[in-house]
Amino acid sequence: MIGFIIRRLIAAVFLLIIVSMVTFAIFFLLPKLGGQTNYGLATQYVGRNPTRAAVLQMEAQLGLNRPVYLQYWHYLSAIFVGEHFGTGTGSAYCPPPCFGYSFKNQQPVWPMMVSDIPVTVSLAIGAAVLWLVFGITVGVISALKRGTIFDRFSMGLALAGVSLPIFFTGLVALELFSYKWPIFPNVQFVPFTQNPLLWARNLILPWVTLAFLYAALYARLTRAGMLETMSEDYIRTARAKGLPERTVIVRHGLRAALTPIITIFGMDLGALLGGAILTEYTFSLHGLGLFTIEAIQNQDFPEIMGVVLLAAFFIVIANLCVDILYAVVDPRVRY
Amino acid sequence: MTGLAAVGAVAALVTAACGGSSTTGSTATVHFNQAVTSVVNPSSHKGGTIIFDNSSGPDSTDAGNTYYAFNLNFTRLYATPLTTYKACPGSCGLAVVPGLATALGTPSNGNKTWTFHLKSGVKFSDGTPVTSSDVKYAVERTFDRTVLPNGPSYFASLLAGNAAKYPGPFKDRSKNLMALTAITTPNPTTIVFNLKEPFADFNYVTAFPQTAPVPPAKDTGTNYQLKPLSTGPYMISSYQLNKQYTLVPNPQWNPSWNPQVKQLASKIIVNLNVNAVDIDNRLLAGDIQMDQAGSGVQAAARARILSSNSLKANSDDPVNGFMWFYYINTKVPPLNNIHCRMAVEFAANKTNLQTAYGGPYGGNIASTAMPPTVKGYSKFDLYHAYSKPGGDIAAAKQQLSLCGHPSGFSTNIAYRSDRPREVASATALQASLSAAGIKATLKGFTAATYYGNFAGVPNYVHSHGLGLLAGGWGPDWPNAYGWGWALFDGGSIVPAGNTNIAELNDPHVNSLFLSLEAATSPTMSDSISQQIDMAVMKDAVMLPAVYSKALLYRSPSLTNVYIQPYYGMYDYATLGMK
Repeated sequence: MIGFIIRRLIAAVFLLIIVSMVTFAIFFLLPKLGGQTNYGLATQYVGRNPTRAAVLQMEAQLGLNRPVYLQYWHYLSAIFVGEHFGTGTGSAYCPPPCFGYSFKNQQPVWPMMVSDIPVTVSLAIGAAVLWLVFGITVGVISALKRGTIFDRFSMGLALAGVSLPIFFTGLVALELFSYKWPIFPNVQFVPFTQNPLLWARNLILPWVTLAFLYAALYARLTRAGMLETMSEDYIRTARAKGLPERTVIVRHGLRAALTPIITIFGMDLGALLGGAILTEYTFSLHGLGLFTIEAIQNQDFPEIMGVVLLAAFFIVIANLCVDILYAVVDPRVRY
Repeated sequence: MTGLAAVGAVAALVTAACGGSSTTGSTATVHFNQAVTSVVNPSSHKGGTIIFDNSSGPDSTDAGNTYYAFNLNFTRLYATPLTTYKACPGSCGLAVVPGLATALGTPSNGNKTWTFHLKSGVKFSDGTPVTSSDVKYAVERTFDRTVLPNGPSYFASLLAGNAAKYPGPFKDRSKNLMALTAITTPNPTTIVFNLKEPFADFNYVTAFPQTAPVPPAKDTGTNYQLKPLSTGPYMISSYQLNKQYTLVPNPQWNPSWNPQVKQLASKIIVNLNVNAVDIDNRLLAGDIQMDQAGSGVQAAARARILSSNSLKANSDDPVNGFMWFYYINTKVPPLNNIHCRMAVEFAANKTNLQTAYGGPYGGNIASTAMPPTVKGYSKFDLYHAYSKPGGDIAAAKQQLSLCGHPSGFSTNIAYRSDRPREVASATALQASLSAAGIKATLKGFTAATYYGNFAGVPNYVHSHGLGLLAGGWGPDWPNAYGWGWALFDGGSIVPAGNTNIAELNDPHVNSLFLSLEAATSPTMSDSISQQIDMAVMKDAVMLPAVYSKALLYRSPSLTNVYIQPYYGMYDYATLGMK
């Protein structure tokens, strides 16, 4: 088991390195292939009507005139050993993990990302609890009561949930419950440590909006899985043994149907922890999703690189957890 | 980026479908566009919290590192420059008046030396007295573009002495601190600027917040933006980067330091990166008082406001000094021929362009290269924008014959594909040009890279045949030089970061800019400004689309609300709460 985990961890590190190389290439090599010069790149960071000297100074500061592999190495090594950044009047040490220095905000990237993580984590975990509880419950009941009004209604609702984009449901939720009937007025993030009640109250609308989409998906997946497993021979055998129906459903039916759900849950949660872009944008929650949007809008390469790596890290870790869980459930996976 | 634009557009539709319920505290005494010409709810009442929301954020809260119009407006709350704009609506607000200085700068040596005297008793928010050295240092620090990249670069290009090579006070500090030779401080209340060439507009240049004093000992370089020392009525008490900053009254403040700003509210909060559609909802619901960007409400809120008498009475639609237009490049064939350029000018359907930019509430049809908010503006119509707003195809065909392409020619239109209005405008222009036989191909770019990588790089423009390039512009100060030097003077053409995208290098226009800066009277300035406008339009290097307007909503709970014409939005430095 330990060997399996170590192998997976090594693969994860390689994957992150490849992600970082691809991101680096996209932002540094592609513009150059398109004919962009170092001078042109530097011009974007010195304001309007810059003097030539100012552009050259910025070009040197950004290290654009060094070979690309050195730039990449410099970036990668800073993540592990930290780096000193000039603040003008002095130098600020950016301890590892140091993801570079934002051109737009003139601040190290990592502390900015860290301050946004609690928002995204609060959003993702809360929504995940909601969608797991509701999605799986509705899926199981629908499967057991196949063809009933409940089944049809809940699957119709699930179809709506999957089809309606978050920026639609989010804005409708805001319009109805924040403005028309101000049950949740002035939605904005309040840290859990500051006021847990306000934290929850302000996150209910984003949670429900996000969970609506995923719950719908999970309900349909659970229903399909349950329908399949409940028609297996071993279920008939379990019933024939005289097991209570509740045990048959939970122990034998649901447990088997949950295996693919675990896989997809790991992926979904990992992806969301990297930033729930649309939900954060709709509700103006300053998490990693909004951070990503700002970074892209500002063409702030270190910020984009940082958030891509962090998102990749979350997905890799989530996958690792799923793999380990799988290995526990099914020993064949270890070999 | 395109995805985001799509999100915004769909989001706008959604809110339009659901909107229409909430109106807030309208009063019978207010009316549409009232704040354009008068002060709404004048009051000296103190107290209350004003909340600003912004769908993005300032380029920096450091007054020496900003260029966005809304932030030039907002920084006056905590940074007092040597000069500033008068706090009054209408053309009165275009006047530059003393800020930190006792009077406007006194020119000598043929407009090459400018002397300012500082008001006595002015202190920073930490109680330290302000001296002329602090003003000199504030200007010096803007020379280091690696630390403060965002502000204008007029001081670097105008000042004499070592200005061309001065690296700023941050690098090699012991050698470079207070080493800018073009600025002298004979005593603690006097500061003298020595320029390379005569420059009559220098009082406008000192109105940029780059002249707001900064004490060298307290400057933390790039981190100064987080807690700058204040010389205005408020000071920044907390700042969560990209999220929120809060201003509280500056205890040292004395109203005599700068009568153009007020200290009325007991707190000012600015929320950053808030969803644009949600900002409008919060504004109309009364949850916030102001949209800091000042660029107008989104389409959904506009529909709500215009369909409700009470909401409309609390809104204004001023000409905001900004202009939307197309650069017509003078180097890309066949537009290097003036008659081909004129053909484009005549053929364009100005009504359709206006519709693309938001219709009559989005802007007025433009016929000149300068907007009406620029001093010296005089209406004229060389290319029949008013007499034939649907396009004058006959005149266009005449010009096509003169340029040797009687059946038309092919060119490309560059535009920002993630800006829905610009997409609509480019499509409309393409259609109207085709009526005259001019075949234009659309080339879309993302807004973030448009000027930096493409339109502002002449080599790229030439090699890709970008003949027509969509653009917009706001003046650095409200006269022909502040508006047009960067757009039309041959000296402003640079290989990257170019703003003279038409690449006009007309000796006549260049000499007019020189004489404008040597002008000795306002009448002379106005006359030269008009000549520049006319000359540029005769060169047919700009296809004017609209003089931009922005539908702004003024919260009924605010006092002293009016449109400051230089900023083209509400004056943020005089607001109070009822």
